[in-house]
Amino acid sequence: MLRALVVIAILTACLVAIGSGTSSPRADLVVYNGQEPTTLDPQRLSWIPDMRIARIVYEPLVQHDVLDWDAPVRPATAKSWTVSDDGLTYTFTIREDARWSNGERVTSEHFRYAWRRGMLPDIASDYAAMFRYVRGADDFYEWRAEQLASLERGESTFADGLELWAATVERFDNRVGLSAPDEATFIVELKEPLPYFLDLCAFAVFSPVYPPLVEQYETPDLRTGRLNRRPGWTRPPAIVSNGAYVVADWKFKRGLRLEQNPHHWNRDALNVRTIDVPSIGDPSAAVLAFRTGAVDLMTDVSAPYRGEIVRDKLAYHAEHAGEIERLRALGHDPYAIDAALPSDPRSRAHIIPAFGTYFWNFNCSATLTDGRPNPFADPRVRRAFALVIDKRSIADLVRRLGEPTADVLIPPGSIAGYSGPKGLPNIGDAETDAEREAIIGRALTLLTEAGYPDPSAFPVTVELVFNKDAGHDLIAQVIAKNWQEHLGVPVSLAQKELKVYREDLKNHAFITSRAGWFGDYADPTTFLDIMRTGDGNNDRRFSSSRYDELLDRARTAADADERMAILAEAERLLVEEELPMVPIFHYVSMYMFDPQRLTGMSAHPRAKQNLFLLDLLGDGVGDDRPRPMTRASAQVAPEGSP
Amino acid sequence: MIGLVVRRLAQLPIILLVIYTVTLTLAWSIPGNPLENPDGRRPSPEVAEQMLRQYDLDSFPRFYVTYLARVTGIRYARDAMSGTIEVEREAAEAVGFRAPERPVFDFGPSLQYDDWSVNEIIAGSLPVSIVLGGIAIVIATVIGVAAGVIGAIRPNSLADFATLLVALIGISLPSFVIGPVLLMLFAVWVPLFPVSEWGTARALVLPGVTLSLPFAAYIARLTRFGMIEALASDYVRTARAKGVSETAVLLKHALPNAFLPVLSYLGPATAFAMTGSFVVEKVFNIPGIGQHFVAAVQNKDLFLIMGVVLVFATMLVVFNLAVDLLYRFVDPRIS
Repeated sequence: MLRALVVIAILTACLVAIGSGTSSPRADLVVYNGQEPTTLDPQRLSWIPDMRIARIVYEPLVQHDVLDWDAPVRPATAKSWTVSDDGLTYTFTIREDARWSNGERVTSEHFRYAWRRGMLPDIASDYAAMFRYVRGADDFYEWRAEQLASLERGESTFADGLELWAATVERFDNRVGLSAPDEATFIVELKEPLPYFLDLCAFAVFSPVYPPLVEQYETPDLRTGRLNRRPGWTRPPAIVSNGAYVVADWKFKRGLRLEQNPHHWNRDALNVRTIDVPSIGDPSAAVLAFRTGAVDLMTDVSAPYRGEIVRDKLAYHAEHAGEIERLRALGHDPYAIDAALPSDPRSRAHIIPAFGTYFWNFNCSATLTDGRPNPFADPRVRRAFALVIDKRSIADLVRRLGEPTADVLIPPGSIAGYSGPKGLPNIGDAETDAEREAIIGRALTLLTEAGYPDPSAFPVTVELVFNKDAGHDLIAQVIAKNWQEHLGVPVSLAQKELKVYREDLKNHAFITSRAGWFGDYADPTTFLDIMRTGDGNNDRRFSSSRYDELLDRARTAADADERMAILAEAERLLVEEELPMVPIFHYVSMYMFDPQRLTGMSAHPRAKQNLFLLDLLGDGVGDDRPRPMTRASAQVAPEGSP
Repeated sequence: MIGLVVRRLAQLPIILLVIYTVTLTLAWSIPGNPLENPDGRRPSPEVAEQMLRQYDLDSFPRFYVTYLARVTGIRYARDAMSGTIEVEREAAEAVGFRAPERPVFDFGPSLQYDDWSVNEIIAGSLPVSIVLGGIAIVIATVIGVAAGVIGAIRPNSLADFATLLVALIGISLPSFVIGPVLLMLFAVWVPLFPVSEWGTARALVLPGVTLSLPFAAYIARLTRFGMIEALASDYVRTARAKGVSETAVLLKHALPNAFLPVLSYLGPATAFAMTGSFVVEKVFNIPGIGQHFVAAVQNKDLFLIMGVVLVFATMLVVFNLAVDLLYRFVDPRIS
């Protein structure tokens, strides 16, 4: 018996010894970033949480000033740039003190190398399309893909993979409009003027990588010529990066430790020494960790009781409505207002508009996938269905997350210089029953005009396709009820598993479906392009020559204001006449942090957070001064704030 | 003895091949493209095709054969013998590259986590699960055997009833209830233990206890029935008759026999505790291997699915073999 106890004791001691002893002290700032990063390879980025980390680990040519309400583009690794008169050639000057984390200089050649990765089909960047604005990039991509395929089929003129690779490098050097005449000069030639090209350059996917490192992990296959990508170079100890912070430690599904980059040109501006990004799989556990103080900042709150947190926050704001009104009139941003109010755990949740919209798709093709004629090919039918969706009920009673209802596709105020259309009304806007009846009457008239005077004899059962997660079922039920009750059409709900739902959308195998879209760059086309005829993300199969023509005209418009006006007209066409989809609400981002303790978070609707701006107030490190949102373009800064 | 080990080890590849074939067929039939970000932009068809071809994901037979050659080390052996590895290294070095490292048993890349290979993911998370599962089994054995013995001393007494009730609760209450309850009690209200942490002895307690409870409950019941039976047997009556103390009767004579069913249960139980701790890992945010079973299937991360399934299957077979061997030491009747 004693022996058994001794064995058990030794066994336990060993297990505990293995299980412990590898934890380091808490970092100054602990940030919950949603999920485990899927990659920190700049050209392979796809997820928003990954980009949030990538933006502080890598530094592109330019960056957005996210603490400015206009989010203008500011110098970063490039200290300046010039644009040729025809808008086709951008010449960037890279600052001399731009350094990699190993102390080496960041040169124009490194950008050229990284952008080449973005254009290689074997790297398969999700954002490969963004590089195609560079002159010759399209041809290069297609040529490489074709050569890889022909070498695999054995019809190639190349003897082996290395020969193909050498030819690829040569072709890129000679035919793609990227050049690096000296270490500091990086010249980009575009195939056509692109007013938002600088905005793209600020995108994390356009960050440089350190070629001597990456080359070791990406070698052409001897036979097929395809680059064999091996993981490892994006992690310590190998990683070499040029951002404000370096990845000091990364344990899979346990978290990252970020430390200041000792070689960064702007390291004196940093206000936080170390940042931990723990990987917390369960969203509810993340909220618990925040409440116990183990986490300082949550960049995403997806716990099931997120709705309650929002309700508490709104109740807290209701208690201080007068004071909030006063502070807002003084020009305070939402975080500054919360910081000025009496401290309360409820004030730590922040609901900020995001750069995305939730909408409901209509299939616009002439026939459905099963061959039946599609009544939704007629814009009048789509408009009728849009009019009777009670968006306010969906946002306020079903979602209850503080999301504003949407009548347009592009979130208002998110793009400087763009003012979009008004959009169609819906029955949720009606203040009186008479108004409501008038809107329903208008919808029924539209259906009659379209040839459906008796909606109960509508030729198809209107199916609502959605995936089963995240409460889409409740929204679908409201919409189905609206259509059934107010139009009298037969409806059915079709709940699908996420992957099946995605396949259905891709194959246009639906009549109506749930959808959403987040913008990538500060230009209306980031939303409008997905409605263009033949676009890869045009699930609706919407095709309007008028719309395509407007987008084409915008492409060649010389004047920026004129261009924005054309794009606004294109959006008006979408949301007031054609309705290939009905906007339901604009997404919001939800953060949790103590506004009296942490500053430097952006409240801009683009919802980009640059974590290197953060400062813990009163910790004796850095400025320790609140960093409010500003507007550089404003003539006079609001004065008189306490 | 040696014959048994050899026989069982010879069965292993056949078992694994069947599991490989069945799992791969099922995993392959999950709809969707594993290389697409479900929330992101849809890549153009050419990009999607490039991505699939890169990993042989465009053809089931090709994937079946190449992946099998990869995990079994056949590909490594073949390339090493034919000198391909050496040629590749020289060719790469000639143009200034370093040749790719080649693990012998290559589980391939993770499709979801671009920056990690499946070998690295398993190497990182398996020890975590082994420690957690090991702790849980130790706790379960101590609690379970103690409770079983107490219950068996006086069957149908209050103490027996109480331990049975606790055992019943332990079996019926799922760990996604016990875990959060323990967390609320001992991490949030009385902050004795951390909420979500890994790497300290303190952090092991709550998940270890949560994971151990169902096993402890089952062990308690096995021990109790075993003890009651043993205490009623002739050799125990003989021992008592010759004046052996009651403690010695319980611990030296009855318990070793009552422990046999527990021992045979411990083999699969240990394997399950070490790989089936998905819920506990999720609740306590532990970076173990259990989470990959569910997450990899949801993401259709084929390489990771196959990797964890093959590792789990191997562990199960090996643990069962270990128990069979242990049995021989404990019970001399088996040969």
